[in-house]
Amino acid sequence: MTGSLYPKLQQLIEDGTTVAMATITMVKGSVPREVGAKMLIHPAGLHVGTVGGGCGEADVIRAALDVIKDGEPRTVRVDLTEDISMDSLGVCGGIMDVFIERCGSADAG
Amino acid sequence: MDLSLLQELNRALRGRKSVAVVTLTRGETSSGMSVGDQCLVDPTDGTAQMGPLRLSGAIVRQVLEIISGRDSKALHIRTKELECDLFVEVHAAPSHLIIVGAGHIAVPLASMANLCEFQVTVLDDRPQYANQARFPTADQVRAAPLVPTLQSMRNAGQLDRHTSIVLVTRGHQHDVDCLTELIGDDLAYIGMIGSKRRIRAVWELLESEYNLDRALFSKVHAPIGLDIGGRTPAEIAVAILGEIIMVHYRGPQAAMSMRG
Repeated sequence: MTGSLYPKLQQLIEDGTTVAMATITMVKGSVPREVGAKMLIHPAGLHVGTVGGGCGEADVIRAALDVIKDGEPRTVRVDLTEDISMDSLGVCGGIMDVFIERCGSADAG
Repeated sequence: MDLSLLQELNRALRGRKSVAVVTLTRGETSSGMSVGDQCLVDPTDGTAQMGPLRLSGAIVRQVLEIISGRDSKALHIRTKELECDLFVEVHAAPSHLIIVGAGHIAVPLASMANLCEFQVTVLDDRPQYANQARFPTADQVRAAPLVPTLQSMRNAGQLDRHTSIVLVTRGHQHDVDCLTELIGDDLAYIGMIGSKRRIRAVWELLESEYNLDRALFSKVHAPIGLDIGGRTPAEIAVAILGEIIMVHYRGPQAAMSMRG
């Protein structure tokens, strides 16, 4: 019962936009979203979906912008295991692996 | 992701078919494969197609096993010749909710179930209630006799383990007629509306008049819904849908904050 962003992805690619797609492939401990959760990272910030929000998602967006540039798919490990305290943001206690790939033509990015 | 693979995937999703996207996330499945290569696996014929990613028969069999479990999952492959990681993204055919009875509860239930990505069918024998204008988001609205329609849906293979049925007809006799028809089906969920007292009377009736075994009733969710204290039709619809989702994920009944 998880939403699909593939129709939107097809529309973006057909419009000539190059985006990155991030997918949670592994989780350990408490994390905000499940394996298979996805997000499209748009070079102009018009992202679609979420891999959990907060600092972890910000790391994913930064890595995704690199993937849009260099085209190299990669796995990013998001570590949310810092001490749980009020001054550290977005701490759930777990880690997750996020696979990021480029979608769309190389030169349009 | 390759555009032709994406188009094929979207076609399968629109057709509500079950399909998996397999992505190489580390290593190689055979020589010449690189990270990011993908293919689609169709569980109906068990073939890998579309993408550049080539999978051996043994790997396809493991992918098919993951698809039947309905949850996306990473797959680590290690043989004498190769070592790699694959990600198997499962798109299971959506769960089907059949709402029998197109009254007050059916309206919010159909629209909430649509939000939760169920395929929704509404059935009632009164065309003034069972119509698309009253249920704009329902996938199918059928104005037809209840029991014969359920029988024809069964014959079409539509009453399976991914089907949930909610009995909320205008009169208890109709609920009971549908329930006796459906009691032997292997469904994801079946629930029937009614007060505790009313349900008890129904069980007694089914035992004495229909000679049904009491053990069969244990799988029927009646009175229907989670106990969230709701009163309005929309709130009752939340309780019903909450119960269906809970059964789907085999979840606990307590609220998140009450968990240990």
